[in-house]
Amino acid sequence: MLPLKLAVLGGALSMSALAASAETFRWASTTDPQTMDPHAVNSAPVLSFLNNIYEGLVRRGQDMSIEPSLATSWEPLEGENGWRFKLREGVTFQNGAAFTSEDVLFSYQRASDEAADVRSWFAPVTDMRVVDEFTVDFVTSAPNPLFPDSIANFMILDKDWAEANDAALPARDAENFATMNVNGTGPFTLADRDPGVRTTLAPNGAWWDDASHNITEAVFTPIGNSATGLAALLSGEIDFIQPIPLQDVAQVESRDGFKVLEGEETRVIMFGFGHEHDTLLYSSDVTDANPFTDPRVRLAAAHALDIASIDRVLFRGKIEPASQLVPAGISGFSEANQNRPDYNPDRAKELLAEAGYPDGFSFGLKCTNDRYINDEALCRAAASMFAAVGLNAELSTGPVRDYWPQLREDDFDMYLLGWSPGTFDMEHPIRFLMHSQDDSRKLGSWNFGNYSNARVDELLPMVQQEIDPAARQSMIDEIIAITQDEVAYIPLYTQPLIWAAKDNVELTQRADNFFMLRWVTVN
Amino acid sequence: MVYFILKRMVQSVFVMLAVAFLAFSLFRFVGDPITQMTGVETSVADQERLREELGLNDPFVSQFMRFTGDMLKGDFGFSYRTRQPVADMIADRIPATLELGVVALIISLVVGVPAGVYTALKPRGVLTQTILMTTLVGVSIPTFVIGIMLIFIFGVQLGWLPTFGRGGTVQIGSWESSLFTIDGWRALLLPAITLGVYQLTLTMRLVRAEMMEVMRSDYIRFAMARGVPMGRLHYKHALANTMVPVITIIGLQFGGVIAFSIVTESVFQWPGMGLLFLESIRFVDIPVMGVYLVVIAFFFVLVNLVVDLLYVAIDPRLRISDVS
Repeated sequence: MLPLKLAVLGGALSMSALAASAETFRWASTTDPQTMDPHAVNSAPVLSFLNNIYEGLVRRGQDMSIEPSLATSWEPLEGENGWRFKLREGVTFQNGAAFTSEDVLFSYQRASDEAADVRSWFAPVTDMRVVDEFTVDFVTSAPNPLFPDSIANFMILDKDWAEANDAALPARDAENFATMNVNGTGPFTLADRDPGVRTTLAPNGAWWDDASHNITEAVFTPIGNSATGLAALLSGEIDFIQPIPLQDVAQVESRDGFKVLEGEETRVIMFGFGHEHDTLLYSSDVTDANPFTDPRVRLAAAHALDIASIDRVLFRGKIEPASQLVPAGISGFSEANQNRPDYNPDRAKELLAEAGYPDGFSFGLKCTNDRYINDEALCRAAASMFAAVGLNAELSTGPVRDYWPQLREDDFDMYLLGWSPGTFDMEHPIRFLMHSQDDSRKLGSWNFGNYSNARVDELLPMVQQEIDPAARQSMIDEIIAITQDEVAYIPLYTQPLIWAAKDNVELTQRADNFFMLRWVTVN
Repeated sequence: MVYFILKRMVQSVFVMLAVAFLAFSLFRFVGDPITQMTGVETSVADQERLREELGLNDPFVSQFMRFTGDMLKGDFGFSYRTRQPVADMIADRIPATLELGVVALIISLVVGVPAGVYTALKPRGVLTQTILMTTLVGVSIPTFVIGIMLIFIFGVQLGWLPTFGRGGTVQIGSWESSLFTIDGWRALLLPAITLGVYQLTLTMRLVRAEMMEVMRSDYIRFAMARGVPMGRLHYKHALANTMVPVITIIGLQFGGVIAFSIVTESVFQWPGMGLLFLESIRFVDIPVMGVYLVVIAFFFVLVNLVVDLLYVAIDPRLRISDVS
C-alpha cells in the first residue's frame, strides 16, 4: 500500500564485547504505557505496547499494510452496508481459553462503551452480530470501505476471563483487573509489571503465528530524561531506545557498536490560522480586522518560509517537505497536488501589498515546546522568516498540557500543529482538520481555526462512502486542490523518526512509531 | 513533652491544609487533565462527559472541599493517568525516595563533619584549600549537571556503575529496599552522591565556621591549659558545641533533600516520589500531585519536630528550661 521509505534494518556483525545475551532484550522509551487495558486509553504508548500482547482482527505489517490477524479474510456484506470477518480457528488466549466470535462481540461491546476511550473507532457501526462460532458481521450506517483498516488497533479480550475478573468494562475512574493483568492472543505475555519502573514480557509459546524473533525475555523501562536514556544505551544497560533527540545522533554514530535508525514518521507539522476570528488577538497594529481571513495573506505566510534552511539548520537534513496533511505514500495522498508554495519572500511581500498590508502587521504565534521535535526552535526560525516579509510574530510557547485548551478557546492568531493520520488515510485529516467544526457529528474536532468550505464539507461523506478507488481519489484530489488554493493550513514537513540501538539488534521501524517485539532479533 | 508533640501534630494538620489549598489553587493553571486522558479521536462530547463525571466543572471551592474531605476520611482517590489508587502509588515510591535521601544525608555527614573539623583546625593547610575549592565548585554546579557528569564518567566511560534505576531490590514486607544487595548499593551510589553533594558542602562549611568560633572561646583555651588531650578536646568538647546550629540547618535541609530529590530522581530515573510527581505534572494528574504535596508538607513538619527533639537530646540546657 505505501512505498514509504521503510527502515528495515540489517544489523551489522555484533561486537563480542557488546553482544547482549540473546535471552533478554532490554529497551526504553520516554513514556510508560499508563494501563494494560487495550480499550481504556487511545494513546500511542499504550496501543504500541499492547500490540505485543493483544491482537486485532487485522494487523499492520512492516510496511503498514493491512494483513490478516485474528480474522483470516473479510468481505463487504451483501444487501447491507458493513463487513463480514471470517475468524481464525484454533487460536487460544494466553490462559488457554479458545478464541471465538463471542470474544469479538464482547470486545466490541467493551470497546464501544462510554467508558472506553477508543469508542470513536466504532462511530460508523450500527450493529455487530455473531453469525457462527467463527464469523462476525459489522453493520455500518453507510458504505465504509476503510472500516477494516480503521480497526487495526481494536484488540480482542477473552470474554470469560474479563467477566470472571470484573473487568467487563474498561477502567475509567478506578483501576480494575485488566489495568494490571493481560490475557491476549498475541506473541508476548506479561511476566511482571511495576508501573513506571519496569515491565517484563515473555514470549507466548502457544502463539498461532510463526515467531520470527529470538527473544526469550523483554524488559521495558520508561526513561523520561533523554540524556539518561542515551547514557543507558551507551553503557550497554539497554539494547534499544526510542526516540533519541536529534542532537544526540552524532554522539551515537561516533561510537563503535551502536547505530542510529532513521525513518519518516507519518506526522506532518503545519501552521494553522484563526479562519473565523474577526480580529487579531495579539496584534499591536491591526486591531480591527483579521488579515489571515484573506487567502493572499495566508499564501504570503507560506511563501515566507524557507523549509530547506529549517531542514539544514534545525533538523540536520532529516525532514521531508510536505505539500499536504499526510506524507507521500499514505493512501489518499494527492499526486496531483504535490507542490508546496516555494520560498519566495518577494512574492510574499507583493501578496501582502495586494491584500492591503504593504508594511505587514504583527500577530500572535502559538507553539508547543515539548510536543514535536525541535518545536520551539522551529517556531523561532519561522518567526524570523515571517518578520523578513513584514509579518511580525509575537511568539509564545508552552507545554502541550496547557496548549490544547488554549487552542480550543480560540486563544491564537496562528498556531503550530502536528498531525498523524490514525487510519493512515487522507480521509483522517480531512475529517478532523478540514471539515467545519460540527460537534454533534464529531467532525472537525481539531479544526481549531474552523476552516470551512461548503464543497469540502459536501465531499467528505462521499469520500468516506466511495468504494471505487479512482472515484474516491478524484474527490480527495478536489479537496486538496481547494484547501491548497485557499491555504487552509501551511503544511511544513514530515517529522523524522530517530531511534538508536546496539549494532547486534535488528528491528523494524514502522512509520506509525509503533515498536513491535515480534520483529526483533538479537544476534 | 507529650503536650509539645501533640501541639506540633495539630499544627501540622493546618500546615498540610494550607499546602493543599495553595496547591489546589495552582492546579488549574497546570493544564487540562481531560486532553491528557483522552486520545486525539475522542469526540468533544465524550470529553465533556468525562469532565463532568470527574467533577472538573465544579467550582474551585467544592473541588477543594471534596479533595480534603476525602483525604481526611483516608480516601486519597485514583490517579487520572494510571487509574490506580493514589495512596498505593505514593506508598510504593516512598522507600526509594527515603533511602536515597537518608544515604545522601549519611554521605554528607560522614564526609562533611570530619572535613569541616579538619579544615577548621588547619585553616591554612594545602589540603584545606583544596577541599574548600573543590566543594565550592561542587556547590555551584547544578544538581542535574553533576548527575549527568557522574553518569557519563562512571556509567558510560568506566562502566563501573549502572546509569539508571534501583538495581536489585529486596522486598521486606511492603518496603522495597535496595540496601541489602550489592546491585542495589551500586545503583544507589551515584544518585546519593549527586543528591548529597550540596548538603555535604553546606555541612562542611557550617562545621568549619562553628568550630573556628568555638576554638576561640574561653573554655577551650582553659581546657587546653588544663592539658586535656587534643583529640578529646576537638571531638568531644569543641564539636559537641558546634552541633546545635549544624543540626538545625541539616535537619531543615533534609526536608528539602526529600522534596527536591525530584531533579536527582529524574536524572537517574530513580523510581521515587519525585519522579512520580514529575510524571504527574506532565500528565496533569491532579490527584497524585495534590497528595504528593501534602505528603511532602507532612515530611517537613515531621523533620522540624525531630530537629526540635534532637536539640533537647544534645543540649542539656534546654532540658532544664522546658519552655512548653
